[in-house]
Amino acid sequence: MGRYVIRRLLQALLTLGIVLFLLHYLTALSVQIRGNPALLFFGGDRTPDPGMLAQVERLYGLDNKCYERVGDPCLSPFVDRLQNFVQGDFGTTLNGNRDVGQLLAIYIPNTLRLFIFATITLVTVAMVLGTWAARHRGKFIDHTVRGTTILADSIPVFLILLSYVYIVAVPLTRWARGIWGTESFMGQVFRPNYNADYPWTTIIIPGIIVGTVGLATMTRLIRASQLENLGSDFVRTAKAKGLKPMRITIVHVIRNSMIPIITGVGFLFAFMLSGAVLTEGVMGIPGMGRMIFQAVQRQEGNLVIVGLTVSAVVVVFVSLIVDLLYAALDPRIRYE
Amino acid sequence: MAETVRVIGDTLPGADFNSPLLEVDDLHVEFRVRGRRVPAVRGASFTLEQGRTLAVVGESGSGKSVTSQAIMGILDTPPAAITGGAVRLHGVDLLEQSEETRREVRGNHIAIVFQDALSSLNPLWSVGFQIGELFRVHRGSSRKDAKLKAIELLDQVGIPDAKNRVGHYPHQFSGGMRQRVMIAMALALDPEVLIADEPTTALDVTVQAQIMRLLKRIQSERHMGLILITHDLGVVADVADEVAVMYAGEVVERAGIRDAFKRPAHPYTKALLRAIPRVDTVGRELEVIGGLPPNPAALPGGCPFHPRCFAAEDKCKSEVPPWTEPAESHGSRCHFAEEVYTDER
Repeated sequence: MGRYVIRRLLQALLTLGIVLFLLHYLTALSVQIRGNPALLFFGGDRTPDPGMLAQVERLYGLDNKCYERVGDPCLSPFVDRLQNFVQGDFGTTLNGNRDVGQLLAIYIPNTLRLFIFATITLVTVAMVLGTWAARHRGKFIDHTVRGTTILADSIPVFLILLSYVYIVAVPLTRWARGIWGTESFMGQVFRPNYNADYPWTTIIIPGIIVGTVGLATMTRLIRASQLENLGSDFVRTAKAKGLKPMRITIVHVIRNSMIPIITGVGFLFAFMLSGAVLTEGVMGIPGMGRMIFQAVQRQEGNLVIVGLTVSAVVVVFVSLIVDLLYAALDPRIRYE
Repeated sequence: MAETVRVIGDTLPGADFNSPLLEVDDLHVEFRVRGRRVPAVRGASFTLEQGRTLAVVGESGSGKSVTSQAIMGILDTPPAAITGGAVRLHGVDLLEQSEETRREVRGNHIAIVFQDALSSLNPLWSVGFQIGELFRVHRGSSRKDAKLKAIELLDQVGIPDAKNRVGHYPHQFSGGMRQRVMIAMALALDPEVLIADEPTTALDVTVQAQIMRLLKRIQSERHMGLILITHDLGVVADVADEVAVMYAGEVVERAGIRDAFKRPAHPYTKALLRAIPRVDTVGRELEVIGGLPPNPAALPGGCPFHPRCFAAEDKCKSEVPPWTEPAESHGSRCHFAEEVYTDER
């Protein structure tokens, strides 16, 4: 078990290192090919004073000669940046000269809240539907569940978002406020946009919408794994031992069905990041997805790198948790 | 550990100890597939007495496994349905009992060992947990007591170093050892009937012999009734007391093991015996039974064996043969049972 954990930890670190390096190399290449982003500081086509340019370059860590040689991996700025990250220094933005660390302190909790609601929605809805479909295999309920989840999955997230924001949200909010008042939970929960005064309440609905991404996949996964275990030989053995159906389900089916489900959640977590970009954009949530999107639009190289680093850390961390949960659940993996 | 004396009547109300241990009487099981009814067992009958071994022999699809699962009451209904007959344990018809009584009977009175021990054990729990589960559920034992009992059982079925092995998982055992674990699990609550459903099919030949010897030893030690389900007549010869040969869902011959081997009274049994490879027939081509087992959804009329039978006549195509006894306690479902028995056919 100890060796397994250590190996997985090392693998996670290695993955993270590779991702961060590739990220750095891509941005370095874009500087080398597209030209010095420090020029933007002086507004487009004008030729700045060399002394001032050098100062700006130093400020944003662009003063290294390697940025002039196309294809150079620029290792020394990479190492510098990693050191700064470790010390909690994430640099500043080009626009407005704001501290990126402070921005993260606002954005990360919002995205985290979004993901908490999304994961809860995904797992509970898929669990209920998947179990339900498995119980009624081949019957009307089974086909209905599978059909509707596929339908829900094939509608793009932005369509759900836009129809919620433009059609449902406003009348629903008006109706709720008429009954419970503006400041109540119900008065806030249906808002079409984020409200910084209610950071939890106003993220519930966006979270649910993000949670529908991958709902069909998850439902099918749960249905299939439960069916597989219900029809398995060890469930037959459990019946032959005279166990009650309830005990068979809890002890011999659910635990065995957890492995594909955990895999699915880990996998969809990374997938939901893309849903987060759209959702945060449309619902006006100041979160990581929107931050990265805007950073790309505004050529904020540093901000892009920081944002993607955070999401890479999250994805690697989630996969690590998934691997550890595997080992906790399945002795065959633990003793591999 | 205080040993509690178990009274069979506690878990099986109405048990009569003058009746045979287990009696399967004209059992009918069918499967309902897409609105069609496919018979899997069509009137299987046999009796098992205490301390005896009954071998149920037949090809794949002859209904022997379905019969054993019907006795246990673990068939999935639907698609399976028991449509007639009785399974009497100490004279009590199990098919008429409540689900709760049936659960008590499983493990306490009748236990089963399945063919594939690897898939029949839950991969995520230690073998000790899976054996101990029986004591915890049926006897209300503590985890600690259950584990001690599991160690004791593993030791009895010949697993070396049982104390350490009890915490191991099924994948850490070899095929033969896993089958021993299954046997230990079946023996846990000291059942009166043990059903072994092809217990050695998935094993190496040498391990097969070990497992058969183990079953035989345990059966005589505990004076259990053992039902040995197999497709291999060779395996049962020196273990079984009686044999019931199944074909197309019915018992076609029932006899003492010596009688059945020496003087079979059904052409199918005769053909099966000829198909066993023997040392004294080396070099000669092995005899086979031509054709395939019939499709249970479309059984041939009359005697279901007639298309493959060497003794078949016109009568066999139209008339279902009656149960006849050419000798005492030797029955056969063949129009020509007498002639086959006396070797005239």
